[in-house]
Amino acid sequence: MPPENKPPSSPWFPALLSLFIPGSGQFILKERSRGFVLFLTVIILLSLIAWTRAFVLLVPMVFLFFWSARDAYRLAKGRQPGWGAALLLAGLVLYGTAIVVTEVRPTRLITGLPNVQPYLRSLFNPDLFEQPTEEITGVAPIMVPCVDPLPAPNREASTDHILIPEAPCTEVGNLLHITGEGFAPNESGQMQWIDPLGTPRRATLDGQVVVFTADENGRFETALTVPQAVPLTAQPAPGETLTHAVRAVQSIPSGRLQPTQTLSLVWEKIGETIALAFLATVMGVIFAVPVSFLAARNLMGGNAVTLAIYNIVRAILNIIRSIETLMWAIIFAVWVGLGPFAGTLALWFHTVAALAKLYSEAIESIDPGPIEAIRATGANWPQMVVYAVLPQILPTFTSFTLYRFDINVRLSTVIGLVSDAGLGFLVVQWVRLNRFSAMATAIIAIIIVVAVLDLASGWLRERIIQGKPIISSKNPVVRAAIKLMIVVAFLATFAWSWQVAKINLVELVTGAPKGLALAREFATPDLFTRPTESRAISTPLTVPCGAAESTIPADPDITLSVDCGDPGDPVVITGTNLPPNRTVSIRWVMPDGAFLRVKSNCCDTDGDGNVTLDAAINPIMVVEEGQTEPGRVEITYEEIVGGWQVTETVRTVIRLSIVTLLMALLATTIGALFAIPLSFLAARNIMGDSPIGRTTYYGLRTAFNIARSIEPLILVLVAATWVGAGPFAGVLALALNNIPNLGKLFSESIEEIDPGPVEAVTASGATRMQSLVYAIVPQIIPPFLAFIIYQWDINIRMSTVIGFVGGGGIGQQFRIWVSLNQYGAAATAILAIVIMVWTMDYLSAKARERLV
Amino acid sequence: MLQIKNLTKVFPTGTVALNNVSFEVHDGEYLAVIGLSGSGKSTLLRCINRLIDPTSGEVIWNEHNITSASGAELRRMRRQIGMIFQHFNLVKRSSVMTNVLSGRLGYVHPVWSLFGRFSAADRQRAMAALERVGIADKADNRADQLSGGQQQRVGIARALMQEPQLLLADEPVASLDPVLSHSILRYLELLNQQDGITVLCSLHFLDLVHRYATRVVGLKGGELVFDGLPSELTPEKFKEVYGEEAEMVQVAPPHAA
Ligand SMILES: Nc1ncnc2c1ncn2[C@@H]1O[C@H](COP(=O)(O)OP(=O)(O)OP(=O)(O)O)[C@@H](O)[C@H]1O
Ligand SMILES: [Mg+2]
Repeated sequence: MPPENKPPSSPWFPALLSLFIPGSGQFILKERSRGFVLFLTVIILLSLIAWTRAFVLLVPMVFLFFWSARDAYRLAKGRQPGWGAALLLAGLVLYGTAIVVTEVRPTRLITGLPNVQPYLRSLFNPDLFEQPTEEITGVAPIMVPCVDPLPAPNREASTDHILIPEAPCTEVGNLLHITGEGFAPNESGQMQWIDPLGTPRRATLDGQVVVFTADENGRFETALTVPQAVPLTAQPAPGETLTHAVRAVQSIPSGRLQPTQTLSLVWEKIGETIALAFLATVMGVIFAVPVSFLAARNLMGGNAVTLAIYNIVRAILNIIRSIETLMWAIIFAVWVGLGPFAGTLALWFHTVAALAKLYSEAIESIDPGPIEAIRATGANWPQMVVYAVLPQILPTFTSFTLYRFDINVRLSTVIGLVSDAGLGFLVVQWVRLNRFSAMATAIIAIIIVVAVLDLASGWLRERIIQGKPIISSKNPVVRAAIKLMIVVAFLATFAWSWQVAKINLVELVTGAPKGLALAREFATPDLFTRPTESRAISTPLTVPCGAAESTIPADPDITLSVDCGDPGDPVVITGTNLPPNRTVSIRWVMPDGAFLRVKSNCCDTDGDGNVTLDAAINPIMVVEEGQTEPGRVEITYEEIVGGWQVTETVRTVIRLSIVTLLMALLATTIGALFAIPLSFLAARNIMGDSPIGRTTYYGLRTAFNIARSIEPLILVLVAATWVGAGPFAGVLALALNNIPNLGKLFSESIEEIDPGPVEAVTASGATRMQSLVYAIVPQIIPPFLAFIIYQWDINIRMSTVIGFVGGGGIGQQFRIWVSLNQYGAAATAILAIVIMVWTMDYLSAKARERLV
Repeated sequence: MLQIKNLTKVFPTGTVALNNVSFEVHDGEYLAVIGLSGSGKSTLLRCINRLIDPTSGEVIWNEHNITSASGAELRRMRRQIGMIFQHFNLVKRSSVMTNVLSGRLGYVHPVWSLFGRFSAADRQRAMAALERVGIADKADNRADQLSGGQQQRVGIARALMQEPQLLLADEPVASLDPVLSHSILRYLELLNQQDGITVLCSLHFLDLVHRYATRVVGLKGGELVFDGLPSELTPEKFKEVYGEEAEMVQVAPPHAA
């Protein structure tokens, strides 16, 4: 070691320093970044522990302090430092807090199992077809109670299917025998009791529902207990009676199997789902193309003005993209009202931003040669774009567009969770109604729609990337005809989608004031506030004059033009020495404390703190008998009593942001832990060509693909029933989605490994396990880590919206704030989300760079 | 002694890569295998250590039948047979040291080795092997930071860890320039002469064959068409193995080769 770097004489000194302030010993040993990272980690972990109050986690923290001391000691001795144990300890604390914060309760996975069983069972029993039924009903009036003389009933008995009660009248609680004739032979049915208002209820006998079966002649006999069908408060007066009725209903199957109502609803929503995705993509492309040119550095880098435009456009695109589509849907729903239109707008908005970014990157990566060549011919900017840029980017653009269409299809299956469009809407609705087989039908529809459209766009993309013609025929007439058909089909689909998505541009305009107001509030997030206290000043007003004498003195800063008067008399209320330019409330206050605002939305003080209001004395001010105090007129206002502070909103948002980050972390970890072993079983090159190998491979890959097509937002609905709503449900849903997602990505990267090293290691006489560890694992670590980081990134975005449907985290609070019209608070949440997403994007890009 | 008896390999695709090939390799020989691309050289070498299972025929190594061996027995035979590859087949992201140590996997405990634990003796042996090929200073570098020639030397060091009696080299110099080719083949010659390791090496260039090999076998369309001394391999004979093809290339339609 060179003399100027000579460490302090004893290695114990830095060790001791690091024992008390982790990282400090490393810092003075010139391992600056090591010391800093260590210090920061300790601070973050300690504050997490303090916040979660999970003090058990201090145990690994103590070990971490010791580790830090030992590390400093070893560094001072000039040994090679490692991170292993520290990572383990820090991970222990981090995951410990994550488990506490996200309320993970593994036992609930077991105890909640009965709750999800109906879901699972119904997945194999979707609600597809039903037998139409024909109803045969017979009705007979019956009077309750019996009176003498008995009036004629005011409803008719049925004539074709006859019901005969044993008596024309009866009493509540009696047994009533009934015979029926002319019903469908050998079919069973149910008895109903109909109250005088015509509302039916099931008839019972000893608490059991009354069911009858007609004999071969269509006759039956049955009995029921006369119910208390009329509320006690609406009983007929003595000597009067009311007409009730008994009804027998047989529903007998008739005709052929038909699709259920569920199926036709699902069918309709499938159309809506596709239409939304289609429309959003087409409209997205139309807007994204011009924007992408503005966001391409190589086109805009020319001078300061265009560069500024480039930067602004980029920033806006990034902000739009970092807010999830579902959040936009909630925001647009405020603007144009709930419905498919809000969903379309949200999808469209996000699509424009996402596509414009992809497009602009495609533009940036084009070959500058042709541009130079065209420029050299003296062409202007549009000419350059048409002749040099477009031909180069069209294939990439189309491929990105198809890719986005896939995403939009997936998104439009869940957009219904916050609006009422698409299949997702049906799922939420049916989950809430516990209609499991209907829900299963919708979920199966989602899987099919996603799979089919994935296949279709995959086919198209393949053709485009490989440069194969879409139309294989060479005959020019056929080609022209097919082209025409494609164009017509496209236009027809567009028109149909427009219709289905209930596009209503008028609403955009009429809703604009609301939208603008919303935008204004969103532009001012609730970040800081000053604590205030309510103040009130009041003065008595006796109505009528002389009715009472006030014992409570009047405040000097509020004056009335009259001391007393009659209801309706004019009175001028004046306040002075109030805080300037402030909203105050002026009220009539009765002696018992009840109050009424003199005028709603009143009033603001002027620049000097004065306020005046012309009013008429309200009748409630009249002094009632026995009252000794007159009513008063009161001005209330909020007075600032302290300095600026962060708002409660900010604190909530920070807390929920941490919860959201930890949710994403846990879900990714769980997903990866399960996906890693599965991915080996789903990799072709590992499983080989044996029948078992092939079956496992195909089975797992198919399972991955099916499971992947259900969005986490839908899984949350199930997870919330399973383990209860909250962050744990969110973690569970994300993990359930991550396992197949990561499993697919992992197994694909296993398939891409270089077989050479495996061959070499095998040739040296190694076992299969050894070749796995020495030749395969080192190759798959970088792609696995990259995919895990990528998934975490996605999970963070996902967990910002997963709370909309019971998954906890910041999304839940966002939705609450929007529904309470607290847009300032909602804006704070969005700000936090944007910051979080950007930071993660940046960090994961950095991490990925280091990995490759 | 290595005996190849009536070796035939038919791939599932129907390609007959080896057709009834028989010859013997005596201990201490430096045998060059020549032949056109696609003539079956790689298939032959891989059938010897059973990276590829032959369709029929036998490979006998020191009285032991490799073709019928399996499991631990096969691994024990494999560890006596080192192999060097055209594309080096190193784990690029692992260190040179780890790559070399992985040549020892056939000897070490199958479970402990999974945690990266090697004995001090094995580490010393690895350093010695690296010193022998002249890149001991690169032990801690990542394999992909090395040049092609250095990577192939790591490959040789890895094979040396097996303390092999037979070394299979599948076009060990085809990815290297001529100067490096000589240096690599000289290492093989050294091992052949000093340690008495039998070498089976597929090669493409006549001058290299003449310079290094003690014996030559020629393959053509999976059949053995030459077996003799390098001196017997006149340019005319060489053309017999390669020549017609060379003429064909000039006139052949693109689908020929
Ligand atoms: N795994 C395989 N499946 C099907 N056919 C194969 C396989 N491996 C090799 N072949 C075929 O067997 C024949 C011999 O291949 P081999 O690799 O042994 O030739 P080679 O002499 O090593 O050629 P090169 O000089 O190009 O390496 C070729 O026709 C090849 O296409
Ligand atoms: Mg070969």
